[in-house]
Amino acid sequence: MYLAEVKAWDIVKKQYRYKLKSYFGVFTSLIVIQLLAILFSFNGTGSGSGSSNSIQYDFYYYTSDIILIFMMIWAFITAIIITTRAYRYDDFSFVTNRTISQVSNILFLLSASIFAGITVYLSTHLFQILAFYFKDNYSIIVDSLSFTEFVMGMITSILYIFLFACAGYLVGILIQLHKGFLLIIPTILFGGLILDGVGGDPELFVNITRFFGEETSFILFICKIALVSSILLLASLGISNRMEVRK
Amino acid sequence: MNVVVCHDLTKQYGRSKAIQNMNCRIAENKITGLIGRNGAGKTTLLKIIAGYLHHSAGDIQVFSENPFNNLKVSANTIFIDNEMSFSQGLTLKELLETAESFYPNWNHDLALKLFDYFSFNPTQYHGNLSKGMKSTFNMIVGLAARCPLTIMDEPTSGMDSATRKDFYRALLKEYIAYPRTIILSSHLLDEVEDLLEEVLLIKSGEKCLHLPIDQLKEYAIGVRGKTVNVEKWTEKMEPISMQEIGANMSYAVIRNDRSLQELEDARQLGLEITPVSAEDICSYLTSKTKGGIDHVFSRG
Repeated sequence: MYLAEVKAWDIVKKQYRYKLKSYFGVFTSLIVIQLLAILFSFNGTGSGSGSSNSIQYDFYYYTSDIILIFMMIWAFITAIIITTRAYRYDDFSFVTNRTISQVSNILFLLSASIFAGITVYLSTHLFQILAFYFKDNYSIIVDSLSFTEFVMGMITSILYIFLFACAGYLVGILIQLHKGFLLIIPTILFGGLILDGVGGDPELFVNITRFFGEETSFILFICKIALVSSILLLASLGISNRMEVRK
Repeated sequence: MNVVVCHDLTKQYGRSKAIQNMNCRIAENKITGLIGRNGAGKTTLLKIIAGYLHHSAGDIQVFSENPFNNLKVSANTIFIDNEMSFSQGLTLKELLETAESFYPNWNHDLALKLFDYFSFNPTQYHGNLSKGMKSTFNMIVGLAARCPLTIMDEPTSGMDSATRKDFYRALLKEYIAYPRTIILSSHLLDEVEDLLEEVLLIKSGEKCLHLPIDQLKEYAIGVRGKTVNVEKWTEKMEPISMQEIGANMSYAVIRNDRSLQELEDARQLGLEITPVSAEDICSYLTSKTKGGIDHVFSRG
């Protein structure tokens, strides 16, 4: 009897294709959440008003911020879901080993993030059009983007979503390693935030946001995200290698 | 060539040992039955062979490699049990197509024919199948994959008797058409004994016997007669099992290695000598106490 010799990369591709097909529900939830986000954004994501002698005006911003934040949360949760036992065991009904399983998961999360990033952009337009038709607006100013700005904006959204997916993946793997993390992680996260803010001058959360948000160089921003995501993913890979394959 | 070689294999869960100091070799292209009582460590051993669990001590080689988390072993092995998990997002038909893309020897024609024969609905999902239907579907995947090492852990659980018979027949036909190493675990030896070539009997995580099925069938004999006589005759032997079967009557099971003279003596004492079926041999060998379940209820 001859033994089949398989190449790891071939199996990664097969697992990835299998995941795109079988995790289709993830994309359904993406659309539902975006519709919800559009609903939430409908009143404008920011507003203000002003007046002078004879004029009084109100203005509303319609941006994709809320949709992007919803997508980041979606990516975080999706990543946790695909680390759960049912999803992990699905891989092992077919040919795989742990590294391949993880790499194909990461590729899946990356593609899901790209898809989400593109749809964030598209749904922004959808709800701007909806706002145009259904709200009593007197004038609308649309900030038109140049092609490079548009591409940069999209890549930024994708990277933010992917960053959250990586964080979710690590959290998911930790929970799979030991159920205790289900308690420990929220405690550390929220406890840390509360302790940080208790003095009235929160720093931790602000600094993390600044680390990414105030980066003016696009290349450096990409590097920062890439660095943090790789740390998160390598940690996940390392931890998952301590677990049994299937019980 | 041996497909599986275990040397002093031990698997520990916390303090309890599920497998201890197991030494065995499973030969290529044979159907081996893994027989044992509940909790004897059958599933643990099979999962270690399939590369799902890490062994604690000793050594195991599958296709001359350590199976744990090994891609080559994964590609050439299929592990079928009733906990097999398939994606909820794919229909049964799509699952078969996915399996086809993963297993190089996959016989899609056979898979579809079996699929039709057992009247599966191609648009159904694996999670919605009944227990017996799940086992049947898993069995189809296991047979069609034509993996050099096919491991089936209690494959017939939940199947009705007609499906069981069909399954054993399908397994045998597939094996003849495309020989491969098959390890079949079961606690119903009666059902599978016509299929098996070798039997690996395990008891509380240890190897108890590893014999060709023909030798196992002749492994022991049963002696029935008056308790006094049975005890007298088996005095110098070590009976595998001894139980009372009514007033002053006893039944003992002993190794089938007595001389003709001794058997003649037995006849003189009025003892009746009977063959013991392979299934009974296994249950006597693996029972924890010599008296059997009757011992629990005896008012002694």
